[in-house]
Amino acid sequence: MTTETVSQPAPVPITIKELNTDNPRWCAGCGDFGIIMGLKRFIVERQLAPAQTVNVSGIGCSGRAPNYFNTYGVHSIHGRPIPIALGVALARPDLNLFVHAGDGDTLSIGGNHLIHGINKNFKCVFLMYDNEVYALTKNQTSPTTRRDHPTNTQPQGTFLNPINPITVVLGLGASFVASTADWIPDHLTNTIKAAFDHPGFAFVHISQRCPHFDPNNFDHKNSNWFSFLKNANGIEPDRRLVGKAEVIEHDPSDLAQAFQLGADDRRYFGLFYQNKNKPRYDDILHNLVTKAVKKDPSKILDSFLI
Amino acid sequence: MSLEKRPVTRFELLMDAGTGAQKAGDILLGAFVGMGQYVYVEPMIPAEISPPARSRPALSGVIIRLADFDVTNIGNDTDLILAAHEIVLDRRLDDNEFNTNAQILLDMGDQEANPESYEMVLKRCTKLGISVIPFDVDPESRVIVKELGGKGQNLYYLGMLAYIYNMDEEIVQKEITKTFGKKLKEDIMAKNLTLYHNGYRLAKEKVFFRVEVQSHKRPVEQILIDGNTSMSMGLIDAGIKLFSGYPITPASSIMHTLAKNFPAYGGVVHQAEDEIAAIGTAVGSYYAGMPAVTVTSGPGLSLKQEFIGFATVAEIPLILIDVQRSGPSTGMPTKTEQSDLMAALCGSHGDYTKVIISVSNVIDCFYAPHLARYLTEKLRVPVFILSDFQTANSYKVVTKFQLVQMKDNVDTIPDFVFERFHMKRLTATVEMVRTQQTLPGTEGGMRRITGLNTDENGKVNYFADNHQRSHAVRNEKIHHVRRALGAPEMFGADTNEVLIVGWGSTRGAIEEAIYLCKKNGVPASGMHFRIVYPLPLMLKEIFAKYKKVMTVEVAYGDMLKPSPLALLLRAETLVDIHPLIAEATGRPVRPRIIMKKIQEVLK
Repeated sequence: MTTETVSQPAPVPITIKELNTDNPRWCAGCGDFGIIMGLKRFIVERQLAPAQTVNVSGIGCSGRAPNYFNTYGVHSIHGRPIPIALGVALARPDLNLFVHAGDGDTLSIGGNHLIHGINKNFKCVFLMYDNEVYALTKNQTSPTTRRDHPTNTQPQGTFLNPINPITVVLGLGASFVASTADWIPDHLTNTIKAAFDHPGFAFVHISQRCPHFDPNNFDHKNSNWFSFLKNANGIEPDRRLVGKAEVIEHDPSDLAQAFQLGADDRRYFGLFYQNKNKPRYDDILHNLVTKAVKKDPSKILDSFLI
Repeated sequence: MSLEKRPVTRFELLMDAGTGAQKAGDILLGAFVGMGQYVYVEPMIPAEISPPARSRPALSGVIIRLADFDVTNIGNDTDLILAAHEIVLDRRLDDNEFNTNAQILLDMGDQEANPESYEMVLKRCTKLGISVIPFDVDPESRVIVKELGGKGQNLYYLGMLAYIYNMDEEIVQKEITKTFGKKLKEDIMAKNLTLYHNGYRLAKEKVFFRVEVQSHKRPVEQILIDGNTSMSMGLIDAGIKLFSGYPITPASSIMHTLAKNFPAYGGVVHQAEDEIAAIGTAVGSYYAGMPAVTVTSGPGLSLKQEFIGFATVAEIPLILIDVQRSGPSTGMPTKTEQSDLMAALCGSHGDYTKVIISVSNVIDCFYAPHLARYLTEKLRVPVFILSDFQTANSYKVVTKFQLVQMKDNVDTIPDFVFERFHMKRLTATVEMVRTQQTLPGTEGGMRRITGLNTDENGKVNYFADNHQRSHAVRNEKIHHVRRALGAPEMFGADTNEVLIVGWGSTRGAIEEAIYLCKKNGVPASGMHFRIVYPLPLMLKEIFAKYKKVMTVEVAYGDMLKPSPLALLLRAETLVDIHPLIAEATGRPVRPRIIMKKIQEVLK
C-alpha cells in the first residue's frame, strides 16, 4: 500500500458541475443543499483539487453530504467522523479535510470526540449541520432542540434546555469558532474560507433549516432576529443582508466577549473566536517522527540479544 | 548439602505488590539466560497498583520454569516457593499448583506480630504434605531494609535464590548493577548489594539443598523477549506506521514499547480519547493508505464492534489486536483467558466478514502482524490477532527472528510466514464489492465510501439482488483464505483414541501433554490452530481418524454449553465435540492435568 501518493494539481479549472455527483436525496428546501453548495463554491473559488480533498461525515441527513461531492469521501458511522478525520490527517497531512457532522453527531453520540478533536486542534474544517432535530430517524429530540418543542420522543415538548454549541466549544478551548446559516450563501462561503485558512481545528456552526419536521424554526425571510459579527480580522457580513440585519463589532481575539455573545439568546453569525497559536497534535506527532534519530530497521531485535 | 539434578524445574517468588518481586524475577531471568538456560516466565500481577500489604489481593510474584532445553509453556507444578510472608503463600496454595515434594522457604519476619496466622498456614502446609523451611532475614539486613524505607527485601530473596540455583554470586551481581545501575544512587546501590550478598549467605548457611543449573553455550543468536514486546517489534517489521489505542490492561505495554521506539522507525503512536476513537483513527489512516493497527483487550473489543462492521462494508483494511483477559465485563484484568473468540467472530452486527489469527508464543507474536497486514490489504476485511495475558507477558528464549522489513507491497512477504500459520499464499484474484479501490490523493480516482450497501461502482444501493451480491463477494474473500489453509499443526499419531484441540496460547501445554501421553502410553494426539477463523476444509476428515475429539480451552464451558472453540468446531464439522478442559480460572492449562483428564475420559 503506497503511503506517499503524490498527485498534481488539477489541470483544468474545477467547476461546480464537476463537483456534483448524484442528485442529493434530501427533502425539498432542506438546508443541507445550501451548505454543500457553499462548500462547493469555496472549492471552486480556491480551485482545490478534488483528488486532494476528503469529506468525512457521520450519520443522519448531514451524513450523506460526502456522497454528493465528486471528491474523496467517507460516510462513516454515527458520531465518529472526528476519529476518522484524524486518521486521514495523520496519514496524509497534505489533503484538504472537511468534516460534516449533525447536531447528534457533534453533541450527543460523538460528544467525546468533539472534546478531544478540539483539544488536539488537528487541521480540519468542522461543519456542524445544526437543524436542531433528529430528522433522518423521523423527528426526535436532539441535543440542540429548543425547550418545549414537541417531537416524537418528547411529544409533551422537549424537556430540557438545548446545549449551546458555541459556548460549549469555546469552553473546550476551540481555536476557531464561527457561526453561519444555510440561507446566507456568501457568508457561509466566506466562513468556510476563514475556517480553511485557520491552522487547526476550525469549528463552524451552521444553523440549518429542516422544512419537513420543523418548518418554523428559522425565519429565513426575516433578518431582525440575528446579528452579524464584524471585524477586520473576522468574516464579512452577508452582502445581501447589509442594512437588513444588525451588524455589531466583535474582535475575535476577545474570548470573554465571545462567551457573552455565544450565551446570548440572540443569534450571531460571524467569527466568535480565533487563536492561531494553539499547538496542533497532528504537527506534534509528525514532528516526533521527522525529528527522531532514525534507527536501522535491520537491527530492531539487537537489544534483545542474550 | 545435596545437589539435585533436574533437567526442568519450576520455582516462584511471592511477595507483596510493589516490593519488587517482578524486578527480582527479571534479574534472575537475565542471569539464567546468560548461563544458556531456557526459561518460560509468568508474572503474577495484581490488578491494583498498591493493594494493602499482607493481604491476599496483594500477591505479586513471578513463576519461572527453567530447563536445559526449549520450554513451550509454564508447565505443571512448582518445585520451590519463596514467600515473603504467610498470607501470600496461603493465597497461592489455593491454586494447587505445587509438587507434593515441593519445598517452601517462608520468611518468618512477620510471625511475631501474626503468630496465629502463621500457625494456621504452617498447619495447612503440613496437611498438604509439603515441607516448609522457615527462615529469618538476618538483623543487619533488617536494619538496611528499614533504612531503605522497606525496600530491598527482593534483593535479599534474590540472593537466596541465586545460591539455591547454583549461580555464580558475581554474575548475578553484575546483572543487578546492569538492571539498577543508572537509576540508583551509589550508597543505595551499595545497600542493595549488601542485601543481595546477605541473602546469598543466609541460603548458604541455612538451606540444605541446591539445584544444579548448568551453563551452556548458545549455538545460535538468541533473544529473550515477551509476547507484547515481540508483537510491538513485529508491527514495526511489518511496516505498520500508525498505532492507535487506548490504555487497557494487558494490551497497554504494546503502546508503551512503541511510544519509545516507533518514531525512530517512522511510526506514530496515537493515544486516543476512547476505544472507539482508537479504531476510528486506525480506519481513517488505513483508508488514506497508511497501514495502521488498533490494539485493545476484552472491554475495548466490545466497544470497537460497530467500526469493525464499518471497515468490512467500506472495504478499508483494518488490523485489530486483542490481548485477551478474563471476562466478561471487567473480569480479572491481569489474568489470562481465551473467551473473546466469539466476540471476534460474531461481535459486530450483521454478517461481517473477518479473519482471526491467534498467537501461541513470542514467535507467532512477531509474525502475526505481517500475515495480518498481508490479508487485510489483499482482502480488505478486518483481521484480528488474538493474543492473551499469558502470551503477552511470558518471556521466552528464542532464536533471533528473521526480519522481513515489509515495505509497500505486501506480496513480498516470504513463504515462511505463511508456513508458520499453516496456509498458502493467496493466488486467485480477489473480487471486491467495489471495483475501484483508489486511495485519496489519486488523480481521477475520486470515490466515496460508506457503511451503506453499494453496488460495484460504489453507489448506494438498496436493491435485493445487489445486497445479496455484496454478502457473497465479502464471503468469497474469506473462502479464499479457507481454501488456502492447510491442515493445522498436529502432535502425536495421526489416528488415535483421543484428539485434543486448542488454539492460541494452549499450544505449548498441548504439545507437552501429548509428549507426556506418549511416554505414559496414553493414546492421545493433539491439534492446534493458529488461524482460528476461517477453518480449513479438511477438518472433518481429520477428526474422523479419532474416536473422540475434545477441546482444551482457557474459557468456560460445560456439558450443556460448549466452550467457544468446541461450539465453533461443532458448528463447522457436525462432529460431537465437547471440551476436555474449559476452565476460566485465570490460570494457564497444565500439561499434566490435560493428560490426567484424557486418562479419565478413557476409563
